[in-house]
Amino acid sequence: MEFVNVQELVSTGVAEALAFYFIAALAITLSIGVISDKNVIRAGFLLIGVFGGISGLFFLLQAQFIALAQVMIYAVGITLVVVIALMLTNPRLQNEEAEEEAIASSEPALLKFLDSIRNGFPGLVAWIAFVTVYMAIRSEHWEQSTQTIGEDNIAVIGRALTTDYSLPFEFASVLLLAALIGAIMLAKAEKVEDTDTPREGIESGSN
Amino acid sequence: MNAAEIYKLSRLAIFWLSVTFGAVWVACWGVGVFIPSLITGKMPFLLQVDNPSTTVVFIADLLRSLTPILSLLVFIPINAMFMVLFERRSLALFTVRMGPNRHGFDGLAQTAADAVKLLFKEDITPRGADAFMFTLAPIIFFAPSIFGALPLLAAVTNNHDLFKVANLPTGIFYILAAASIPVVALVMAGWASNNKYSLVGGLRSAAQAISYEIPLVLSLVTMCLLAGTLDVVEIVEQQKGGILNWNILGGGALSGYDKLAPYWLNLVDTSFDTSAMFGQFYPVPWLSSIMAFVLVICTVLLFGLYLTGACAEINRIPFDLPEAESELVSGYNTEYSGIKFAIFFLAEFTNLFVVSSIATVMFLGGGDNPIPKWILDRLPLEPISNALGSLLSPLIKDLMFIDPATFWAAFWVIVKVYSIVFFAILVRGTLPRFRIDQLMDFGWKRLIPLALILFVVVVFARTWVVCHG
Repeated sequence: MEFVNVQELVSTGVAEALAFYFIAALAITLSIGVISDKNVIRAGFLLIGVFGGISGLFFLLQAQFIALAQVMIYAVGITLVVVIALMLTNPRLQNEEAEEEAIASSEPALLKFLDSIRNGFPGLVAWIAFVTVYMAIRSEHWEQSTQTIGEDNIAVIGRALTTDYSLPFEFASVLLLAALIGAIMLAKAEKVEDTDTPREGIESGSN
Repeated sequence: MNAAEIYKLSRLAIFWLSVTFGAVWVACWGVGVFIPSLITGKMPFLLQVDNPSTTVVFIADLLRSLTPILSLLVFIPINAMFMVLFERRSLALFTVRMGPNRHGFDGLAQTAADAVKLLFKEDITPRGADAFMFTLAPIIFFAPSIFGALPLLAAVTNNHDLFKVANLPTGIFYILAAASIPVVALVMAGWASNNKYSLVGGLRSAAQAISYEIPLVLSLVTMCLLAGTLDVVEIVEQQKGGILNWNILGGGALSGYDKLAPYWLNLVDTSFDTSAMFGQFYPVPWLSSIMAFVLVICTVLLFGLYLTGACAEINRIPFDLPEAESELVSGYNTEYSGIKFAIFFLAEFTNLFVVSSIATVMFLGGGDNPIPKWILDRLPLEPISNALGSLLSPLIKDLMFIDPATFWAAFWVIVKVYSIVFFAILVRGTLPRFRIDQLMDFGWKRLIPLALILFVVVVFARTWVVCHG
C-alpha cells in the first residue's frame, strides 16, 4: 500500500476498522472494570472512560455532534455528578456488605437457596436484556444506505428537531422538566416535615 | 503612575512574546514548510531521481499534518513560563511591589529557573493515595487543552494551509466539549490524593464548573445564533473589516453602518443611492435601528458574561475557591509535587490562554484589524507595505518564511489575547475572593437568568436586523 497523503491513509477501510476495534476493546474493557471494581468511586471514573469510548465510536461514524454531546453531557456532566454524589455517601457501605455476607453464610440451606435466587435476579435480567439486544441486532435486515454524509449534519439535526420531530422533542423536554420538579420535591419533602412539626405546636399554642 | 515599572513590564512582555512566538514560528516553518520542501524538492535532485518516491511524499505530508500539534507543544511550555512571570510582575505593579527582578536580566529568566527547579524536585505519591488515578489526573487535566485548542489554530492564522487540517465543522462545540473535561481531572485529583483539603477543593471545583458552564455556553450559543454557524473559521471570516463588524458590537448589526459610513462621510462618490442600501440592512425604518442598538448592548453584556463564566471555569480569582490557599492549603493540588504539579500549573495557564483565544475569536474578530476599512483605505499605507514587501520578499517568496496574511492575523490575535490575559490579571489584582454561597448565588440567580434573557432578546431583535448569519 502506497499513500501520497495522510488523508488517504486515514480514510481507508483498514484504518477505520483498526480504530473501531481499538475503541470497542477499550470501551468493553472499561465497562467490565466498572462492574468488577470494588471501589465504587473508581468504577464511576471508569464509567466516564466508557462514555468517552462510545463518543469515539460516534466520531468514527462521522456523527460529530452526537459524539461531542456524549462527552459533554454523559461523560462530564451526568457521570461526574453521580461520582460526586457517591463521594458524599457513606464509605461504610462496603463494610455493611461484608457483614451481610457473614450473616448469609450462617443461614439454613433453604433460605440460602432463596437468597441465591434473589441475588441472581439482576444477572438474569441483564442476560435477558443482552440476548434481546443481540438478537435484535443480528436478526434484523439493516438497511445499508449508500447516501454520503453531508458536511453540515448539525444543520440537518437542528432542522429535523425543530420541524419533523418537534413534538417528540417537546415531549422529552416536558418529561425531563417533570423529573426535575419531582426530584426537587422529593429532596424538599423531609425539610418541610422537620420544620412543620414545631411550627404546628407554636400555632396551636397561640390558638 | 510608575512609568519606570510600566516600561520594564512592557519590555518583559515584548521580549518573552518574541521568544515564544519566534520559537513557534521557527518550529512550524521548519516542520511544515522547510523539511517537506527539502525532501520532496531538493532530495531527488541530489539523488539524481526525477520524482520523489511515494514514501517520501507521504512523509512530507505527515510532517505537514503534524505541524498543528507540534506548534502547540512548542508554544504551551514557553507561553506558561511567560504568563507566570507576566502575572507576577503585573501584580507587583498593581500592588506597588517590586516583583521578581533578580534572576537573569531584570528577572527575565525567573520562571525558566523555576521550571527547571520543579522538574528536578522529587515526585511524591502520598501514602493511602490511589496511585494510578493520582498520576492520571494531571494528564487528563492537561490533554484537553492541547486537542481542544486545535480548531482555534485555523481561526487565528487566517485559515493557513498548514492548520486547515485541524478545522472542524462543529468548531466551537468541540472546543467547549474539550474544555469541560478538565473538571473530571480536578475531582479525580482531589479524591485520589487521600487528603480532605484536596477532596473539598475538587468537589468545589466541580460544583463551580458545572454552575458556570451554563452562562458560558449560553453566551457562546447566542453568538453562534447571530453568526449562523459553529465553524470558528467562518465566524472569524464574517467579522472581517474593522471594529464595527466584530461580534462584540451586535454580531454584524452595525455592518450596514460600516458599509455606508464612507458615503455619509463624503469619502467616495456621493451620487450613490444610500437609502436603498440602508433599507437592505435595516428593513423596518426606525425599529431596525433601535434593534441594532439593542443587539449591541446584548452582545457587550454577553461578552462580559463570557469573561465571568470563563474566569470561573478556569478557577481564577475571584473564583479560585478550589484552591483558596487561606482555607484549603492549595486545594486539589495540595499533595502534588515535582513534575505533576508543574503539569497542573502549565495547564492552568494554558487554559487561561485558550479561553482568551475563544473570546478573541468569538467576540473580537479573531485576526482582524480593528481599524475600519474605509479609514484604512485613506491612510497612505500602500508605499509602506510595498517597501516592506520588497524588502522581505526573499523571506516571503523564496523561503516562504513569512506569509503576510497569516502574519498580520497572528499579530492582532496576539495583541487581543494578551490584552484579555492582562485584564484577567488586573481583575485578580483588584477583586477579593467570593465565598462559596455567594459564588453559587451569583451563578444561578444572576448569571443564568441574565444569559437566558439575553438569549431571548437576541432571538427577537435579530429578526429586524440583517446580521452576519
